Amino acid sequence: MATLGRLDWYDIARATNWTPSYVTEDELYPPELSGADGLRMEAWESYDEPYKQTYSEYVKVQREKDAGAYSVKAALERSNMYANADAGWISVMKAHYGAIARGEYSASTAEARMARFGKAPGMRNMATLGMMDEIRHGQIQLFFPHELCGKDRQFDWAHKAFDTNEWGIIAARHIFDDMFTTRGAAETALMLTFAFETGFTNMQFLGLAADAAEVGDWTFSSLISSIQTDESRHAQIGAPLVTVLIENGRKAEAQQIVDVGIWRAWRLFSVLTGPIMDYYTPLEHRKQSFKEFMQEWIVTQFERSLLDIGLERPWYWDEFMAQIDTQHHGQHLGVWFWRPTVWWNPAAGVSPDERDWLEEKYPGWNASWGKCWDVITDNLLEGRIELTYPETLPVICNMCQLPINTTPGPAWQVRDYAHTHEGRTYHFCSDPCRWCFQVEPARYAGHLSLIDRFLAGMIQPMDLSGGLAYMGLAPGEIGDDAHAYAWVEKVRAARERLAS
Amino acid sequence: MTDTGVLQPLKTWSHLAGRRRKPSEYEIVSTNLLYNTRPDAPPYEVDPGVFMNRWYIEHRDGSGLQHADWNSFRDPDELVYRTYTMLQDGQETYVFGLFDQFDEREHDEALDPAWVEQLAVLYTPARYLFHALQMASAYLQQMSPASTITNCCAFQAADSMRWMSHTAYRTKELQLTYPDAGFGTGEREIWEQHPAWQGFRELIERALTTWDWTEAFVALNLVVKPAVEEAVLRQLGNAARHQGDMLLGMLTDAQLVDADRHRRWAGVLVKMVSEDPANVAQLASWLDVWVPRADAAIAAFCAALPDSPDAAATATAATRDVRRTLGV
Repeated sequence: MATLGRLDWYDIARATNWTPSYVTEDELYPPELSGADGLRMEAWESYDEPYKQTYSEYVKVQREKDAGAYSVKAALERSNMYANADAGWISVMKAHYGAIARGEYSASTAEARMARFGKAPGMRNMATLGMMDEIRHGQIQLFFPHELCGKDRQFDWAHKAFDTNEWGIIAARHIFDDMFTTRGAAETALMLTFAFETGFTNMQFLGLAADAAEVGDWTFSSLISSIQTDESRHAQIGAPLVTVLIENGRKAEAQQIVDVGIWRAWRLFSVLTGPIMDYYTPLEHRKQSFKEFMQEWIVTQFERSLLDIGLERPWYWDEFMAQIDTQHHGQHLGVWFWRPTVWWNPAAGVSPDERDWLEEKYPGWNASWGKCWDVITDNLLEGRIELTYPETLPVICNMCQLPINTTPGPAWQVRDYAHTHEGRTYHFCSDPCRWCFQVEPARYAGHLSLIDRFLAGMIQPMDLSGGLAYMGLAPGEIGDDAHAYAWVEKVRAARERLAS
Repeated sequence: MTDTGVLQPLKTWSHLAGRRRKPSEYEIVSTNLLYNTRPDAPPYEVDPGVFMNRWYIEHRDGSGLQHADWNSFRDPDELVYRTYTMLQDGQETYVFGLFDQFDEREHDEALDPAWVEQLAVLYTPARYLFHALQMASAYLQQMSPASTITNCCAFQAADSMRWMSHTAYRTKELQLTYPDAGFGTGEREIWEQHPAWQGFRELIERALTTWDWTEAFVALNLVVKPAVEEAVLRQLGNAARHQGDMLLGMLTDAQLVDADRHRRWAGVLVKMVSEDPANVAQLASWLDVWVPRADAAIAAFCAALPDSPDAAATATAATRDVRRTLGV
């Protein structure tokens, strides 16, 4: 054991800022790459990362973590978990790995940006470890699904997804690239480590690990828990930076960046995490609804951290709270309806028992979302499966890149939040998505959504087959109902019982 | 694909499936991971003209050295994250074992006072330089166009943080034994002003502001790092042994194990780009600019090493040998 304790020498290891003289400060730290509008180096002296770790501790702890996660995987290799798992859970794994593994790898680029261009040495050191963490998360989340490639072609998408123009991946790239890889180091820290990781994924990974344990997938559970412990360290890069910005009169800028970040992260959650928790996870294993999870873990905790570091709730807080109740139902319905356009098999999650649960957790569900599912269910019961497939395209939001939708039923009031910028009309799903565009139009204006590309003739032929080819999806990969519509027979049985 | 046109499961990722052998763990988790190099698309999925897209198009895609398939690069050590931490945890156990053993023997108390003064000037300020290597490697990490290269750069950045951390640890130990010798307090001024360091400071400030990614690689891995490693690790380590400071000699030897690994991957990348004569010419013209700066840095630093008349010449020659071994 080392004679000196970590804190005896830690400060020396983060006293590494010097005044350059062969180049200027702005040449060494170009403001566009360092961010915070070129805030001078001296102002960063007070930056103090709350989670302190040395290189030596890092390699020791991380070696042990990997030994744990890989040995659980090896030990359970011959278990028949995969063969016995509910098809809904298999879909959770496919959606998760495809949307996350290489996205996390890309976050190593973001951490490297902070490691090079951050102006506080403690931030650069923690981001160096964060860069390593994200390589770990990319690699381990490829290694684990790789063994499933031989069982199901859709697992190829754990690697392949990010090379394609599949609509969900366009949305994921748009969000990740906006938040992590195209901003200066300071803004990256606020958006990636504070808004996204502290706010959302840190807690979501705890929830996902608990769900995996609940369904008996110990390999996935130990993997996700292990990743979460890394996040809980490097997610702490951003908060002390807010303090520095506030001290230097930049609270409004910090608030705006965090507000954009939270909203963008929320929209991704509404399509990825919401359906997984409320529809894909087998009913008997659901501990909490998505809404309850969001309220208990994300909203309450994150609201506290926001206020603790001196920021305010985002201006759209009421809209955010309302969407927690509704948005993911619409996203789920859309994903299931357009199921040939995803690389996993969406679980409908609307058998009679599941609908009872949804109605209990979301009073009014049967009178709104349920009405849409009634039509789908009737068509399936009557053998008209062709009517349950899409013939048209959804309108996609030019910010979140997700289909625009609101709660159906008597109160239905879908509306397009349009905005014209330099002669082009953009369509948004909500006021906050439109606001994200308006605060920095040059960042988004030239991007084409999947639908914009379709209308521009970039996708040929202009039908579902052309769309699937453009998205890189072929038969054998394209999604279908996770349970091969077995749930429809439960509905039939229930109706027959009722009729007799 | 079957006769019915339905894709069948494969034994590995589709991008690796065309080959005849079973992919290794290294290949499964390291190859083709970047999505910012997709053909016919801007690097990042926002406005194509946004600053960072322009930055990547100019400094990465338009870089001075070109290759048709950067993704074909393979790390000769085939390190993945989990083997890196195993490897380096073992190395750290060794180094911290050295620290403890020498501490038990009251090594620092027994040092020659003149050498202690030298350590405050020639050794402990090196943490700035090592940290700068960390930053420069992190730049290469974010700019290189293949994940197999990116990973080598990340490990190199972490290794540089390792050298910086050892230096900080030793700085504190020396400060505790010699509270009035400037340890832990005087390094910044020495790094910014002492003649022994100005060559290296100029060298690294220029390398850190070299944005073209292949020039940044050539400057860092073929010139700056060899110069730092041969002068500030090897020659300083040799001088230390002559002064009875066995700890520093053994420490720099341990750090040079990392440097040897960095040279191995750099050599493979040099070999890869050297397939194209245009690259060879460009690389040579960059070396013409960078090598004299590095030679001057080595000369200034080695001139300050006590009892080391041949240090500069030996270190300079060693950097030539390194580059020759790497194929330039």
